[in-house]
Amino acid sequence: MSSSDAPADDTSGVDTTTETDGETDSGAGTPADPLLAVEGVHSYYGESHILEGVSLDVNEGEVVALIGRNGVGKTTTLRSILQLTPPREGHVHYRGEDLVGLGTNEVAQRGVGWIPEDRRVFSALTVEENVRISVPKGGDVDAAVARVYETFPALEERRNAEAGALSGGQQQMLAIARGLVGENDLLLIDEPSEGLAPQIVADVADAIADASREATVLLVEQNLPLALDLADRFYVLDNGQVVATGDTDDVSADDDDLRGYLTA
Amino acid sequence: MSALFAASVGALPLQLAELFTFDALSSVLFDALSKAAVYAMLAMGLTLIFGLMGVLNFAHGSLTMLGAYLGGLVMVVLVTGATGPWTRLAFFFVGLVVVFGLLSALGATLEVGLIRPLYDRPPIYQILLTFGITLVIDELVRIVVLFYGLQPITEWQEALGTKPYFLGQQLVLGPVSVGGMDLFEMLLGAATVAAVWAFLTRTRYGLVVRAGSEDAEMTEALGIDVRRVFTTVFALGVGLAGVAGMLLMWDNNWGASVPLATETLLPAFVVVIIGGLGTFRGTVVAAVIVGFADALAQWLFVNSVVDFPPLPQLTVFLILVVMLVIRPQGLFGRAEVGGH
Repeated sequence: MSSSDAPADDTSGVDTTTETDGETDSGAGTPADPLLAVEGVHSYYGESHILEGVSLDVNEGEVVALIGRNGVGKTTTLRSILQLTPPREGHVHYRGEDLVGLGTNEVAQRGVGWIPEDRRVFSALTVEENVRISVPKGGDVDAAVARVYETFPALEERRNAEAGALSGGQQQMLAIARGLVGENDLLLIDEPSEGLAPQIVADVADAIADASREATVLLVEQNLPLALDLADRFYVLDNGQVVATGDTDDVSADDDDLRGYLTA
Repeated sequence: MSALFAASVGALPLQLAELFTFDALSSVLFDALSKAAVYAMLAMGLTLIFGLMGVLNFAHGSLTMLGAYLGGLVMVVLVTGATGPWTRLAFFFVGLVVVFGLLSALGATLEVGLIRPLYDRPPIYQILLTFGITLVIDELVRIVVLFYGLQPITEWQEALGTKPYFLGQQLVLGPVSVGGMDLFEMLLGAATVAAVWAFLTRTRYGLVVRAGSEDAEMTEALGIDVRRVFTTVFALGVGLAGVAGMLLMWDNNWGASVPLATETLLPAFVVVIIGGLGTFRGTVVAAVIVGFADALAQWLFVNSVVDFPPLPQLTVFLILVVMLVIRPQGLFGRAEVGGH
């Protein structure tokens, strides 16, 4: 895998980049108006500078993976899109509208859903209550609940159980179900395979693949084979910057250069 | 004194045996249930606010006291000597709606105007602010009460006098006799708990409050304006404080007075801490536990073993200390609640 000083004739399928504010190289096949355009975002936790000019595009209908080792700013990127960690510089355009300055609830109301890293199901609420609360105001709650149970039969069996009593895999299913009933056009999915057994990861992958038929997905994932299997394109994040991007068809999970970005 | 105490303790086994008579047990039971109802009403608003917002509202007692005076004012204006007992009761419920409405509006104003700007500051700012609100409310009420020629530190007798006669009597229900006010407190307490419980578990807004109490950030990410929910819940919590105050305005053991602010804040905090900060179910269970402990201690230390009124209160605080040592998060508490 190439780094920023990679030779010009590198044929690994990975475009290396040190994107700076507002400059985006989103790889092959990018239409003129992406669904989501993150442009030169700088975000901080207190005085810690976490994102240093991150730019990326996600086109409608795509699954785009954001990969990188722990602590490089992947989750912060999602939080910055959602305005949970509002950027101090840069823009986040969604359907052409700048989300910076909006409240998180307003971002969500525009159709941006979040399936967070540690599931964050409401543990004291029942499974069904978790689904019901995720249906937008005015939505058909009963139809949404029925659809979730059709997609995830295991959840129907535990419909009256507190979500905190579910297994990790079931909680992940519930988190995905919550994102689906939110009638979202863009799903931000953060580390869905983290801490799950391999068989459960396969189920989660199927669920994400199903979800991607209904919504565009920006997927943060450290499980490289899973990320490449699910995604159309990828971005590699390192030290708060996008350092590489490409088409997943052009790389493999055992690409040494790509793997190099995921190991400390 | 020590000889008297020794003699009393010596007679303890016999006196404890007296507890297991039908009259003593029923008396303690009804006393416990009425105290539990009052404690639950006092603590409900406090726990709802803390559960969702993580704000320890030190002004809760003062808002209860304000509710007692406002409720008393409504009753004194509406009730005359010729007003019948059932009409007085009807006026009470009119007053309850008025007090709930006024206090809720005050709560919403306080949240939007004073508390909201401090959400991103450390909790000590909110504690100091609500403590400051307490001082302002107490002094304003004291000035107004004195202006109208009333004694702020003693119960407002004119308001107490608006109570229907049957609430001041012992009511005979089959084989048992229960104080009218005790029964009224039990019924109103149970109705209020049921109403809040239904709100939390049967309405979408209640679902949002419970979700927001657990994870405000995730709730916001579902498209819900949690700040607006904060305002509603703060208003509801303050309104409930007012309702509790109006009830206590009719209770001879409490009554509308400025010291009611402190007298109600302490047991409210005890109940909320024992139940687990921010959990409604825990608050109701803790109110029952504290009510029974208080009633039993009162029977033992006031009516039986030794006449020493501070001891029952000591028992309640002893439960608090034991709880903090063995289970600091309370009966149903979580490690973290609330947040913004």
